[in-house]
Amino acid sequence: MSVETTTESAPAPRKGTNILLGLTLLGLLLALWLALGLSTAAFWTPNNISNLLRQGAMTAILAVGQTFVIITAGIDLSVGAIVGFTSVIIAWLLQAGVPLWASILLTLLIGVAIGAFHGFGIVRMGLPPFIITLATLTSLRGIGLLITNGSTISISHEGFTNFSRADFLGVPSLFWMVILVAIPAFVFLHLSRFGRYLFAVGSNGEAARLSGVNVNRTIYLAYILSATCAALVGVLLASRIGIGNATQAEGWELQAIASSVIGGTSLFGAVGSVHGPLLGAFILATINNGANLLNVNSFWQRIITGLLIIVIVYFDQLRRRGSR
Amino acid sequence: MSSLEELSHRHEDKAKLAESDAVPRGAPILELRGLQKKYGLVEALKPATVTFLAGEIHAIVGENGAGKSTLIKLLTGVIRRTAGEVFWCGRPVQLATPNEAISRGINAVHQEVVLCPHLSVAANMFLGDEMNRFGLMRKSAMERAAQAVLDDLGFQLPAGALLGSLTIGQQQLVATARAAMRGIRFLIFDEPTAYLTRQESAQLFRLIRRLRDQGVTIVYISHRMEEVFELADRVSVLRDGTHVGTRLIGETNENELIALMINRSIEQIYHKETVPPGDVIVETRGLSGPGFEDVSLSVRAGEIVGLYGLIGAGRSEFALGLYGRQPISAGEIRWDGKKVVIPNERAAMDLGIALAPESRRDQGLCLNLPIGLNINLPVYRRLSSGLVIRKGDEAENADRQIRDLRIKTPSRRVLASAMSGGNQQKIVIGKWLSHGARLFIFDEPTVGVDVGTKAEIYRLFGELLKQGAGIILISSYLPEVYELSDRLHVFRGGRLVASHNHRAASHEDVLTQAIGI
Repeated sequence: MSVETTTESAPAPRKGTNILLGLTLLGLLLALWLALGLSTAAFWTPNNISNLLRQGAMTAILAVGQTFVIITAGIDLSVGAIVGFTSVIIAWLLQAGVPLWASILLTLLIGVAIGAFHGFGIVRMGLPPFIITLATLTSLRGIGLLITNGSTISISHEGFTNFSRADFLGVPSLFWMVILVAIPAFVFLHLSRFGRYLFAVGSNGEAARLSGVNVNRTIYLAYILSATCAALVGVLLASRIGIGNATQAEGWELQAIASSVIGGTSLFGAVGSVHGPLLGAFILATINNGANLLNVNSFWQRIITGLLIIVIVYFDQLRRRGSR
Repeated sequence: MSSLEELSHRHEDKAKLAESDAVPRGAPILELRGLQKKYGLVEALKPATVTFLAGEIHAIVGENGAGKSTLIKLLTGVIRRTAGEVFWCGRPVQLATPNEAISRGINAVHQEVVLCPHLSVAANMFLGDEMNRFGLMRKSAMERAAQAVLDDLGFQLPAGALLGSLTIGQQQLVATARAAMRGIRFLIFDEPTAYLTRQESAQLFRLIRRLRDQGVTIVYISHRMEEVFELADRVSVLRDGTHVGTRLIGETNENELIALMINRSIEQIYHKETVPPGDVIVETRGLSGPGFEDVSLSVRAGEIVGLYGLIGAGRSEFALGLYGRQPISAGEIRWDGKKVVIPNERAAMDLGIALAPESRRDQGLCLNLPIGLNINLPVYRRLSSGLVIRKGDEAENADRQIRDLRIKTPSRRVLASAMSGGNQQKIVIGKWLSHGARLFIFDEPTVGVDVGTKAEIYRLFGELLKQGAGIILISSYLPEVYELSDRLHVFRGGRLVASHNHRAASHEDVLTQAIGI
């Protein structure tokens, strides 16, 4: 049998297109920076750049966690609520005199517990991810408000609140936290077998199961990672604003999902990366920052963000179709 | 006038077919002259000249990658030709879009049903062409009309039932009925019987003949030679993108067609390796679970144990039970003579069981992921040091399977969905070869697979046997299990009803036992 003729259609290898999208996004980000630098003198000031990096940092960390979940063809709507809730938790623990390291650890563990609960709801109770995370979204806000009795808990720990304002090697410490999350996340998603399992579960859970992948454990893992990233952001937010407040971070879950989707993650699962959502988060942050500098009505920022999501995802769809 | 004809006339009026398009039976309706399709430098279809006559059943045979799918896509307007001309009713046409093809009356019934599972059978049959009165759907009228068509065709399907509640085979019949009542003039069937039971295939064939008698031109693509000879008037053969010939069915035979397709004789296809059987690897005693009951059988090293039966007879369910995918409710499994419990798939794999499941699309492959990832999925543990995958080993393992199994792909990074059926099956098999096992369960390994790949798969069985493995071969295709099995078990209604040694019973006996007359 002759084997010379290859497949009936040969789509471009996936890896190439992945890098291409990354480069396009990076190009878009740089173009935005260039345009803003030309149109306003205030943009390329150290102060503003630090501010931009701080603004983008929290969404970026949320988006990375969210991406793990979306790759399994799930969704985590609770991350914004987790941020608000855990900011209350850490403020509460610090107020109660718990040492800083223990407070942070406990707060992160609460994130783990919330993620495990999501996994339990999906795997054991058979609830759709949308529903179980929607339920925790509203409940966590409620629990946070109960704890604080509807008000805020202020944080008096100076070292903790100084952290978010501090720089290290000229770069805001909050941005270092992004790197601290992104590197292990990259190793996990792109270099470890668990990353491959996330993609496999998102593509075809039954095929993954029959290939010996522990599908349930993989789902637990994705939601635990997402919720833990959110708990970390809760800690960072508490440090930045110096209070714990359950109503903070309203709508951040949508920012995180938007960043992830702009970064090339497919809501149908099995397509995504770590660098994509990071770029997506900083593109959104740049738009907000630029709009502020240009004195654009903040209502317009929301509209622009919405349009941007449509445009970017539409072009991504075209590109995917073209490569078929 | 039958209800089917009535409905298809209703549609013809709508389609406003020009009078001059009328073609007498037996005259050319669609002519391809030097039709060619290139993807970059790859010539998927070399210039082909084929004529389809009005009111004939024209079979197209060829291996995977021979260009059959390319030809269908060209005819249905899914892709555009690179060169050549197409004449429809004697006039040159573009066939540039699916809509153009449909408006001319060219339609295709695909192997995998593309209808809405949550709508009723009737709603699916009328989808996009609903009967309305004052802008409201005439639901009961449509249901009556759909039921009349189904009854007329002898399908015995309820028009009110949800499509998703039917078997895949029944859904296929609905899809065909749907195409049949749309006033089609040219209907392409792509491997329609792959998921059908024998009775369902018979119903489908009756429908196809009836359409032909109404003057519809049928293009019938199949890997099953006996279907081609049962049904077709003429047959065209494709090989490696080349149209190598068209024959009247009465003037050719299976051997000639196969020779045209692959340059190999039929004896070489069902090549059975005889290996002296070794010890019993696995034995089940009264094993029961969801869909199967009280199954006792054993597999020795170096032997193929065939499980034959109709779809739903409990064979696949038994395999899933043995593999730890389904819970066992009674009975026991003995592995190397010792009683074992297999709680999940990983436990089965660790024991040395591999399962190439029934449905490549639903169970076998992550279609929108690369071939390499699919092949490596069961063995990532072995390819990792600690957490991190050794990239070199990962690439090498995938490339080795691609090379050894001759999977036709430019790269391991190509998505599995881009592969043809035979190549997809090879990916599934490659997964388990790289994992290694002592008991291989192959569930319908040759559905939608061409003759050449079939022969390769059978040869591979021989290799596995020689290496001391045992094989459970599940198939609804009798010649396959019959020729290859050292021991053949017949399933019916979830139970093992009969067992035969190699070629000890006749085809008829086995079939009778499976159907249970």
